[in-house]
Amino acid sequence: MVVALLLLSVALLTLYFRESGSGVSHRVQEVVLEVVTPLQTGTARATKPFRDGWHWVVDLFRAKSENAALRREVEQLRAGLANKLLVEAENAELRRLVGLRDDLVYPKGVRFVTGRVVARSTSAWYSTVTINVGSADGVRRYDPVVNGAGLVGRVMQVTRDAAQVMLITDQQSYIDAVVEPGGAQGLVAGSVTGDLSLQYVGKDEKVKVGQYVVSAGRASTVFVRGIPIGVVESVSSREVELYQTIAVRPFVDFGRLDLVQVIVR
Amino acid sequence: MSRRRREAGHEAAWPTGAELARLLAVLVAAVVLQTTAAPHFRLWGAYPDFALLAVVAVGLLRGAEAGAVFGFFTGMLSGIALMEPFGLSAFVLVLVGYLAGRYAETSDAGAGHVPFVAVLAAAFVSQVLLATAQFLLSREVPAGFFLGQVLAPSLLLEALLAVPAYLAVRAALRGGGEASVARVAR
Repeated sequence: MVVALLLLSVALLTLYFRESGSGVSHRVQEVVLEVVTPLQTGTARATKPFRDGWHWVVDLFRAKSENAALRREVEQLRAGLANKLLVEAENAELRRLVGLRDDLVYPKGVRFVTGRVVARSTSAWYSTVTINVGSADGVRRYDPVVNGAGLVGRVMQVTRDAAQVMLITDQQSYIDAVVEPGGAQGLVAGSVTGDLSLQYVGKDEKVKVGQYVVSAGRASTVFVRGIPIGVVESVSSREVELYQTIAVRPFVDFGRLDLVQVIVR
Repeated sequence: MSRRRREAGHEAAWPTGAELARLLAVLVAAVVLQTTAAPHFRLWGAYPDFALLAVVAVGLLRGAEAGAVFGFFTGMLSGIALMEPFGLSAFVLVLVGYLAGRYAETSDAGAGHVPFVAVLAAAFVSQVLLATAQFLLSREVPAGFFLGQVLAPSLLLEALLAVPAYLAVRAALRGGGEASVARVAR
């Protein structure tokens, strides 16, 4: 019996990796998820007060160090604000002169589908969440997912009423990104530890701590340009390496994801 | 001979409807807790593994084969709920359930340390198997990260939760006729 169950597990695993997204095991997954997702949604709502209570306790311990960091950030932002206002005014004037319309972060033609995180992988090897919106809401594979703070991840699997989102911290996540201001381009990569890094930025590019990293939104990618990803935390380079080593602190607090928005076209 | 072993006897038997319902309730509760509540309670870098705790408890209380079957379905459901590779968790939890059952059958299940030792061993086996699977799937598995940030914290956390989880599952299954689904391996 036990050997049969082990063999069955291996067979299912093999089938899962070999078949297409519309294969048998994916369909079974879809059917079961239709039953499980409402249950997860209900539990996620019911346990929210307890989760909030727990986070409140954790926050008490974090508050002091965060307060100091936030004060430093406010000082930096205040210093940059005056400069930004000047640049924006100049930018608007130039746009008006050349007849361009104001581009928002999210271009025309996209809409947002709001969903709730109903499950999350606790495995150290995967950084994924399940949200309670799916193909019935217009969500498709590879759609970007954001929340109020910035880029959360991208949709990797979709069923009728649920979708799996790979967070940008997952070790298999790579996103075209650009450092602003300055325009240095690279790839924001996740890692097994959950840390973000900006890779493939040449040594000749000037990148400073505190600069913002946003999605590059090239034509070949699904990400629109300008979705905030994080802030440059450290920059270093070694003589033997071709590229700089840039650590990025994400804007999104991945420990507390609740409501998210999928950008659908 | 241990108390549980005496109760279990040596006859294989199908579970009654009421007992199946209790096991199903434990299974669903474990998976729902695992997917919705566990991700918010991180301690020392690890998350509680309610699915594993439930499978170990069922293995200890109902024997190796029942533990393996329960592990299979728990693994399948949690894999589906998290949209993770089909069968991976099931494979790990079948082994965990079986080994927990075998351990109970060969030791004094009434002793207080049994759930604790069984969960520690199960967490170790589970983490090593999952790390091996990641390696086989060509994902990055740094040894230092695995030992320091995955294995050690999860062993600590699961050890803390072992006895409460065992008592909770035992209470949930109480009244179901402990012997009816157990088969003592010979």
